[in-house]
Amino acid sequence: MKFITIDKKNWAKGIEKSRETYRLFGPVKDKNGSFIRDLENDMLPDMSCNDSVLSAKSVLFPQTEKILFTTLDESQKDHHIMKRVPGDSAKRAVLGIRPYDAKAIQLVKLNFDTDDYRDPYWCDAYEATTFVGVGINKPGPFDFSTAAGTGPFSETGLDVLMADLDNAYLAKVLTDKGGAFMTSCGFDTAADEKESQALFDILRKEAEKNISSRIDTDKLKDKTVLELHEAPFWDDIAFSCINCGTCTFVCPTCWCFDIQDEAKQKSASRFRNWDTCMSPLFTKHATGHNPRDSKTQRVRQRFMHKLKYFLDKYDQGIMCVGCGRCVKSCPVNIDIREVCKIMNSYEKKE
Amino acid sequence: MDTCIQKIREIAFQLLDKKEVERVIGFSNGTIPMATSPITIASKQDTEKLVFNSTCGLNLANYIRQQKGKIAVIAKGCDSRNIVTHIIENQVKRDQIYIIGVPCKGMINKSKIKALFEDEILKFTEDGETLTVESSLKKEKLNKKDYLRDNCRLCQHRNPVIYDVLAGEPVEEQVLDTPYPDVEKIAALDADARWLHFQELTKNCIRCYACRNACPLCYCPTCFVDESGPQWVGKGQDKTDVNTFHFLRAFHCAGRCTDCGACAEACPMDINVRDFTRKLNKDAFDMFGWEAGLDQTKRPPLDAYSPDDPNDFIK
Amino acid sequence: MGNLLEHMGIERDRIHFSWISSAEATKFVDVVKEISNKVRALGPNTKLVKDYN
Repeated sequence: MKFITIDKKNWAKGIEKSRETYRLFGPVKDKNGSFIRDLENDMLPDMSCNDSVLSAKSVLFPQTEKILFTTLDESQKDHHIMKRVPGDSAKRAVLGIRPYDAKAIQLVKLNFDTDDYRDPYWCDAYEATTFVGVGINKPGPFDFSTAAGTGPFSETGLDVLMADLDNAYLAKVLTDKGGAFMTSCGFDTAADEKESQALFDILRKEAEKNISSRIDTDKLKDKTVLELHEAPFWDDIAFSCINCGTCTFVCPTCWCFDIQDEAKQKSASRFRNWDTCMSPLFTKHATGHNPRDSKTQRVRQRFMHKLKYFLDKYDQGIMCVGCGRCVKSCPVNIDIREVCKIMNSYEKKE
Repeated sequence: MDTCIQKIREIAFQLLDKKEVERVIGFSNGTIPMATSPITIASKQDTEKLVFNSTCGLNLANYIRQQKGKIAVIAKGCDSRNIVTHIIENQVKRDQIYIIGVPCKGMINKSKIKALFEDEILKFTEDGETLTVESSLKKEKLNKKDYLRDNCRLCQHRNPVIYDVLAGEPVEEQVLDTPYPDVEKIAALDADARWLHFQELTKNCIRCYACRNACPLCYCPTCFVDESGPQWVGKGQDKTDVNTFHFLRAFHCAGRCTDCGACAEACPMDINVRDFTRKLNKDAFDMFGWEAGLDQTKRPPLDAYSPDDPNDFIK
Repeated sequence: MGNLLEHMGIERDRIHFSWISSAEATKFVDVVKEISNKVRALGPNTKLVKDYN
């Protein structure tokens, strides 16, 4: 069954039913906007709310995650030997994830799941998770996803893509995982394949037409790293930056983390926390030397990573999905769209 | 305030033209509605980029440290008080800074305006006391004084306290019978309710440190939260660590904070971190009759000993 | 600092400041006794206590 119609009257009941198999995550309204949270007890995802303040990356990559633990009690045989926190392989589903956030997870996967190294925490969570996305009928003014290789109805990284049709959801099942989730909800009203696809196409076109914001990235590839790195515009771009971590924390594709150990009495734990390249501490060596000591260097790093290094290394576009969260949240209004324009159009003067 | 921008541009132009300063620090238009961005300009042609309106809520005193040569800076009442604090704390020298003072009628509370709309704001304009805000669903005409930031509503120093030139006529200062109603409201709660208030306040904090970094007082080369030998506070999302950051940061601002509101302005999670600092401001006023940044010749109360200092807390 | 902690909901009697010379052994004992009594009366503190698990 490729397309399923879900009457909104049956939505809550179906979601409740899926809890027998899945732990659910989804948007929840809070004081200053919505957040993707663990939907405890009988909480329902708020499918109507605007885009979440933070992205959905936290479902697989929490801001603080305990990864290892040990005992410091030397009478124990295994003292000081770090053991993995028991993994949680229970199935989970993220409801109402935005298509660009799902695409972002695929970009983050390039870092956490490679041929040489597999991050067990992220990968295990990824494998246990079903991504149930919802298309964005009316993209906001900050959405430039179509110019960043995704879009309001992009299917990349999703297991199910739903379209909101006022009284019903039309769900397009994209993977077996997605099919299994629909079954667990008891959603089984098949919709005509041809008609449904046609409807999706219309909705996608309508939504994409609404996107007025865009970036051009076509010339980034042909420029050399040094050319951009040594360009004269970085001081001006960085001047207003206060080096907070807002842009990196709200970003769905920022994957950097820091490791911290904490101990109390005889027990010790190792955590990982989101880190931010905006902080001087990010690159500070134990010697006291800091290769990225100035604000300009750090701001340049962020944009070069997103728009140049990533592009060169993976050849999968830029490390940005055009969600616009950093544009909205930056306290000093540093706008990645403007920076991209400056970088893309930069011509080195001989 | 609309008219003062012409004056600001003229002054900036003259200063750069006559090479009296090397650069001018001010605000430029943002790329999205209700946003302005700090900017530094070195050429007189660029003075056209300068703007000043009621979205300039950040504090430019935060941008004048470690600058080379003489610079000019645009300063609202609160910015000017932070420049005074910088001078007292030897962060800048008075003769290195040319202050273009701007009498201020208050900055707007952007989140309060955003909350009126279900969708994103597409257009924002202001004309005197009227704000016009538009989204794709509706258009609202608002009275600016109803949408001022809390710190601006309670501000008693709208005119710059120190300046080389004023870019507008001084405005009338507000005199308030109860300058700290917010602090009193929290103080009236019982201990557990106060604790809950602060728990709820910091609940969504992501520790991006935008509050700290937007604050002109927070210029320590290494902040206590970034220190690793010894490590004073955990770095994760544990709520005790989060609260420790907030209240210790606030404490480091005791007797120095001008309630400019840059911390709350910068917070991406709309946390009113001023709930911490305001209590200390009130105490500084009640115990020492002190308001920060008003006098270049006086050291802040926690920085100086006086035999009259209240000491009944010590036994 | 005491005032701010109290404002945040930490009981005032948990925070004590004293100035005791190294020669004032009796004062030290008295102050510590007073502190212990006051804190004991409040019971275990649950605020600003980190849960390590």
